[in-house]
Amino acid sequence: MAVSNSSTQQPKFTEQPLLEVRDFQVELITDAGIIRAVDSVSFSIHRGETVTIIGESGSGKSTTAMGILRLLPEDLAVLSGTVVIDGVDISADPKAIDKVRGRTLALIPQDPMTALSPVHSIGSQLFEAIRIAGAASAKDKGALQARAVRLLEQVHIPTPEKQLKKYPHQLSGGMLQRVLIAIALASEPQLLVADEPTSALDVTVQGGILDLLLELQEQRGIGILMITHDLGVARLISDRIHVMKDGSFVESGEVQQIVDHPATDYTRSLLAAVPVLGPWDETPAPAARHSAATTNPALTQTGAKP
Amino acid sequence: MSLDTATPSQPAGASQVRQPSPSAVTKADLARAAATRRRKAAQWKLVVGTICTLLVIIPIILANVLPLPDANFQDLAARRLPPLTDGHLFGTDQLGRDLLSRVLHGGQVSLTIGLLAVLVSGAIGVILGSAAGYFGGWVDTIISRLLEAQMSLPLLMMLLLVVALFGPTIPVITFVIAIAQWPEVARLTRSMVLVEREKPYVSAARILGLHRIQILIQHIIPNVIKQATLVVLLLLAQAVLLESALSFLGAGPQRPFATWGRIISDGQAYITTSWWMVTLPGLVIVLMVVGVNLLGDGLRDRPRRKKKGA
Amino acid sequence: MTNYILKRLGQGLLTVFLTVSTVFILIRLAPGDPAVSYAGPLATTEQLAKVREQFGLDKSLLEQYWIFLQQLFTGNLGQSYSFQAPAMQVVFERLPYTLTLATSAILLTAVVAIPLGVWMARRPDTGREFGVNVLTIAGQSMPDFWTGIMLLTVFAVLIPIFPASGFATWGGLVLPTVTIAILQIALISRMVRREMTANFAAPYLTVARSRGVRSSLLTWRYAMGNSAIPVFTALGTRFAAMLNGVVVVEVVFAWPGVGSLIVRALETRDYPLIQATVLITALLAVAVQLLIDLAYPLLDPRVRLGKAATA
Repeated sequence: MAVSNSSTQQPKFTEQPLLEVRDFQVELITDAGIIRAVDSVSFSIHRGETVTIIGESGSGKSTTAMGILRLLPEDLAVLSGTVVIDGVDISADPKAIDKVRGRTLALIPQDPMTALSPVHSIGSQLFEAIRIAGAASAKDKGALQARAVRLLEQVHIPTPEKQLKKYPHQLSGGMLQRVLIAIALASEPQLLVADEPTSALDVTVQGGILDLLLELQEQRGIGILMITHDLGVARLISDRIHVMKDGSFVESGEVQQIVDHPATDYTRSLLAAVPVLGPWDETPAPAARHSAATTNPALTQTGAKP
Repeated sequence: MSLDTATPSQPAGASQVRQPSPSAVTKADLARAAATRRRKAAQWKLVVGTICTLLVIIPIILANVLPLPDANFQDLAARRLPPLTDGHLFGTDQLGRDLLSRVLHGGQVSLTIGLLAVLVSGAIGVILGSAAGYFGGWVDTIISRLLEAQMSLPLLMMLLLVVALFGPTIPVITFVIAIAQWPEVARLTRSMVLVEREKPYVSAARILGLHRIQILIQHIIPNVIKQATLVVLLLLAQAVLLESALSFLGAGPQRPFATWGRIISDGQAYITTSWWMVTLPGLVIVLMVVGVNLLGDGLRDRPRRKKKGA
Repeated sequence: MTNYILKRLGQGLLTVFLTVSTVFILIRLAPGDPAVSYAGPLATTEQLAKVREQFGLDKSLLEQYWIFLQQLFTGNLGQSYSFQAPAMQVVFERLPYTLTLATSAILLTAVVAIPLGVWMARRPDTGREFGVNVLTIAGQSMPDFWTGIMLLTVFAVLIPIFPASGFATWGGLVLPTVTIAILQIALISRMVRREMTANFAAPYLTVARSRGVRSSLLTWRYAMGNSAIPVFTALGTRFAAMLNGVVVVEVVFAWPGVGSLIVRALETRDYPLIQATVLITALLAVAVQLLIDLAYPLLDPRVRLGKAATA
């Protein structure tokens, strides 16, 4: 898993950001009262860069992504603040989101097994995404098929023609996630929002998905907003990281800086929570090994240095 | 200029409490919210349901102490009087019997049958359902097959047959309705027990050495009972409807009092001249069943409050 | 999939077997002489003796059961003495009327309940929906015989739009159909509301929305597509259950179907006829249920194609 980020330059400040979020807030009206899931966060993403929001479950990171995309139920969430996607202010006018959905931005969801309609074939759902993006019209079956096959090839799915006819329950999690990425790509997006795309997958499959995302970013220069709780994933794929806790960012910065010099206690404890490979020799007493792992600074850095 | 907040130059571990931003939730938002609407709907249903049910049940319970003429007392001089004449709130029937009294006393019988039937079917259903869910294997197979088979039967016909063979007495009718209803309770209990069975406290109890039946009775069933009770409530309404259908067809109890279905079927012949004989008893049934159903709905949709110490 | 079909067939057979045996046991358990039950209260001693021989009523219970089963297989369900004709024939003559009623009720239910349920699911607990919701609760709370009498009185007697009874013209079908349909519409529309609400909240729908799929497509292609299967199954199950409830409605409207037949048979204690009606109705209910179960794989690709995960 030794893939390095291609865009290590500073983000171009002169260029208009792909995604600009200012004082964004999500309040949820629940039976238990009003819950502030996202408390006035601000960040931006430029073309070709990957920004990760990392945090524990319940920190509000998924809610942030869903809120930005206006995918939260309208009778549950109250949104405030400003969100501008590729120049389109979608916070002022609720209808504006329709212009960008399926065209400028796309979502890669968390659980591939429930992300597609079980009673419709993979192909039909892929065709639909292609049609919405305007890449082929509904009448032109040939063009639809050709484009669908090419998309599946780009995500490295073998025998794409056959897979198009299949139904979601017939594919494994890893394959489904690739199909979902293909569907996302069908929209010709400028911005990909990946909501914990590897959390539901085996570790062995995760690497492939992440490699794919990086490859696509390199090829197309898309911006990626990555949501994850996995520090390893964040480290691999990000340019910049925002650490989120209880609805707000507690620390932000370039990925190397956060990982090497965490500035807040919370970030430090996040980093320390990653299990570390101890020495091969397992004879030291359990108590001693445990205390060594938590106090030895050399071991509390994220393991597996390149 | 970067728009990112919280730059790394902040001192580590600083206990800076940012002023929380003002809330953007307006009154309109609150009113529109799904949680609010659901809560209000559930409240309304609970209140109205309780009122309707009590409006029917309380007079029925008090029927013996209310100043009503005897339900079987025939006064041929006062046949088919319209409501609100001569102290007959509901009027009289074709034999001069006070309709309100007939309805209330008949209601006593109906409710008794309904309650008994529901208790019996509830007991059978919970026992068999939890046995099927908990023990699995062939116990489950037998009970589930039986369940499914019974749910596809032409039930009303079979019930009529039983009543025809064994007589329209209260025990027979109660038994017959109970048989009709146990599958639904059993099915629900079974699926709930299947879920409970996988929970950690069950394995913990096993490890502690508790016998399987003990676990079932002492731990699983109490957890399942609350939701089962809700279904039983709705089954009470169904039982009343079923009993009235049976009695309408002539398979209902005659002694000590005729029940609602029978009263309605008696009044059928006079529908155009004495509408109250059919309409009023029917309205009483509808009021009660609607009340119970609303109550059940309201209870089910009520927002779950977190239990203390959960 | 053949496994599934075999299982369903087995279940159907079990139900029929159970019904058959229950009827058998019931008639023999009841107080009184079963021979009288079969021959009628006006039978002479010779007739009684003949019936005893025919049904083997002086033999052991097991032998009787065997005779009973044999007779079933040959289609001999006995002679209805109140009609003076073979019981099976009497039932089959009246079956089409009941089927017509049940079918039109189901059609009316489907046409009304599905759009109604979708409408309710799109705006749950709002003012208008709440009113409709309570109406559906009322709909499932009205005893069908009472609703029938009320409708009959208003629309056939007071305002003579429809005929008061029987099946002389097609107009006679309207009131009994509506009576049955009120309850079914209430139940099915609530079920549709539940299913659609669940599907609206499902992850795949959110993902589809993120793709820019139009709202109407989200409702009808995706949510409805996934709700259709349980709803269709429910409609089929309701059909079988309706054969049950149709009894009361047929009595109210003097509809010449098997429901009113069995009530009459019960009044006259015509047990061969009762037996025949119950058995044939049970068979019919099982057959419908079986058809639904067999159609299920056609609708649901998950059952049809099974798991075949490719790495």
